[in-house]
Amino acid sequence: MRRKAMALGAMVVSAALLAGCSAGSNGSAGDEGSGEGTVKLVAWPGPEGDAMSKVVDAYNAGQGEDDGVDVELTLLSRQDTFSKEAALMASKSSDVDIYFTASYNIGQFAPSLEPLTDIDTSAYFPVAAEGLTYEDELYALPLDVSNHFLLYRKDLTDALLSDPAAQAEYETVSESVLGEKRAPKDPAEWDLDDFKVAAAYFSKSENPDSPTEYGTILQAKNLLYNTMIWNDVLWGYGGNWEEDGQAALTSDAAKKAVELYADIYKNGWTSPDSAQAEFPETQAALQSGDTAFAIQWSAAFAALNDPAQSPDVAGKIAIAPVPGGKTHVHALAVSLNKYSENKAAAKKFLSFLASTDAMTQYAQAGGIPPMPEVLEAQAAVNPAFAQVSETIDENGFSEPVFPKTFQAYSKLAEDLSGAWVGQTDVDDALETANANLQELLG
Amino acid sequence: MPPTVAERPRSSATERRKRTTAAVILSLPLILFAAVFVIYPLASGALTAFQSSTLLDQSNEPNGIDNFVSLFRSDGFAKAAGFTLGFSAAVVAIEMVLGFALALLMNRAFPGKKLFFTLLLLPIMVAPALLGVMFRLLLNGDIGALPALLDSVGLSVSLFSPDSVVPLLVVLDVLQWTPFTFLIIYAGLQSFPKELLEASAMDGAGYLRSLTSVIVPVLKPVLFAAFFLRAIDAIRTFDVIYVLTAGGPGTSTTTLSIYIYKTAFESGDFGKAAAAALVVLVCLIPFVPFIVRRISSTGMEAKK
Repeated sequence: MRRKAMALGAMVVSAALLAGCSAGSNGSAGDEGSGEGTVKLVAWPGPEGDAMSKVVDAYNAGQGEDDGVDVELTLLSRQDTFSKEAALMASKSSDVDIYFTASYNIGQFAPSLEPLTDIDTSAYFPVAAEGLTYEDELYALPLDVSNHFLLYRKDLTDALLSDPAAQAEYETVSESVLGEKRAPKDPAEWDLDDFKVAAAYFSKSENPDSPTEYGTILQAKNLLYNTMIWNDVLWGYGGNWEEDGQAALTSDAAKKAVELYADIYKNGWTSPDSAQAEFPETQAALQSGDTAFAIQWSAAFAALNDPAQSPDVAGKIAIAPVPGGKTHVHALAVSLNKYSENKAAAKKFLSFLASTDAMTQYAQAGGIPPMPEVLEAQAAVNPAFAQVSETIDENGFSEPVFPKTFQAYSKLAEDLSGAWVGQTDVDDALETANANLQELLG
Repeated sequence: MPPTVAERPRSSATERRKRTTAAVILSLPLILFAAVFVIYPLASGALTAFQSSTLLDQSNEPNGIDNFVSLFRSDGFAKAAGFTLGFSAAVVAIEMVLGFALALLMNRAFPGKKLFFTLLLLPIMVAPALLGVMFRLLLNGDIGALPALLDSVGLSVSLFSPDSVVPLLVVLDVLQWTPFTFLIIYAGLQSFPKELLEASAMDGAGYLRSLTSVIVPVLKPVLFAAFFLRAIDAIRTFDVIYVLTAGGPGTSTTTLSIYIYKTAFESGDFGKAAAAALVVLVCLIPFVPFIVRRISSTGMEAKK
């Protein structure tokens, strides 16, 4: 009896560990369905989910009635949306008709998605559509575009540029940091060396008279989204993930990109807590007034200039291209589940979403649609729209799309985050990252 | 009329059949529950460990021990196991000592005991993931209350820097789970035979001697139960660490659960993740009979 109890106890312990790893049995290959009825859509909460919710409501109340389609939107958790979708895909589930996807996981998710063959992509940013194209087929409809900017305290940089004594101090700091005297510039003209000097100048550890505690905040947590920000620096120094299918992370550019992070961290020009920082911590650092500037996601700008959300800095934050002139661009998107039992109805809704009318509604509801024409027309809705449009056209880049792109982002964050904060050797970290990237490239 | 000799065995067999039928019917809900929620996921997970099951290759074809070979070739699993064992040992040891001390304290009468008792139990009532989010805000260097408080008394501490993040995670785990060990040990103390203490006092034993020679030996099964439950839970630690550090910097705070989660849901490799979970299971199973034997002993037997 006791043995049976022990065996049962052992199974209870192990079931919890194993249950989540179980892949389901094969599902059906999906069905076109009647072209009418309920279409189930998932998205993540936040600005994109909120905006999508309004678009869905408008569709259901208008064109959806003519189409005979009712869209049901479920907002999952922001952190785990893709994990839940991965579990559904692994079990070949038809529970969801339209998945929420992104440029960075389209290669990984493609085997579970239906290619979209009848979509005209000419109205989208080319970089957004290209990022969702895998093996020459479009697997997702661009919905929201994300890129990075330098968000900075204009009051502080204006004061620096208008004060000769401050400029002299800046040049002294520059000589100490770079070995050469550099005059301060408008942040819109910064290169990555200017970024580094300014980070030092606005830090009390380097300049006790600095108006802020830290010059910048690095997003250095072991998180795939932080790899995307570091990529700006890598691309800004002329580097890349790979060249002709060969991993290229042992390049001089990659080394300089990691060293820039490590120098800023070790010298105290960013908060020590930035070892665990991502989007919210960066917002908090800028909102508190303790930090002068940061490379941050485009979605952050509106909140920083909203007096209700950012009373200490609203009206003082300006926007400029990322120093180095390169910004990662990815599109959040929606994709048709290959195993959906109601594909025809889902396609009707996707066709609606691909229209400029739907994307205009999306922009007015708080999203950033990946259509330059819509962004320009709706510039009054969000002051960042004009900058987004211009920056993506001029400075946007998209990492290579291959089946394991998503894993590559995660693996690079894992391999490099220790080196970003000076915990591990730069060369060792890059060699490990390069070997792992090569394995993922295949 | 009493049954004849020939009728007695038949009657006894009928009784046995009835008892067996009743036992089967009464245990059927548990058997069904175990079949659906324990045995099926376990068998399915174990099967997945021997299959090629990724988001890119959903064929679920058997691939022998490939997942295990891949697991042991990458050093990520060994590192995660090392961190998990070290972290678990540290937090369980501290929580056992503190939980025992608190149980002894709460076993006495003092003013405000009920309020203190209630406050003590609050942390285990909060969902771990929520606690992680709360700590993330509370300890944030720019907007967190604790750094601001420390700053106001001239102390500048970076709680999330690479040097302090592991001790921080240990402290947070201790804060959340010490009430759990306390509660189990306190419940054991409530049923402690007081006459044993009275006898030891009459024999001239002081408090410390009574503690080490009477209380601890008698409470051994309870202590083992608390230790076992906490150790299992500590080995499965996920929520707070994932929310606060996501396993970094690098892999310095990656637990086995985080490793398995990332392997399954970031790398999309369900076969390898299931293999890792199976290895953890196989490593834990040998301890179960030992622990169960300890828990089911009365403690008094040890004294004999």
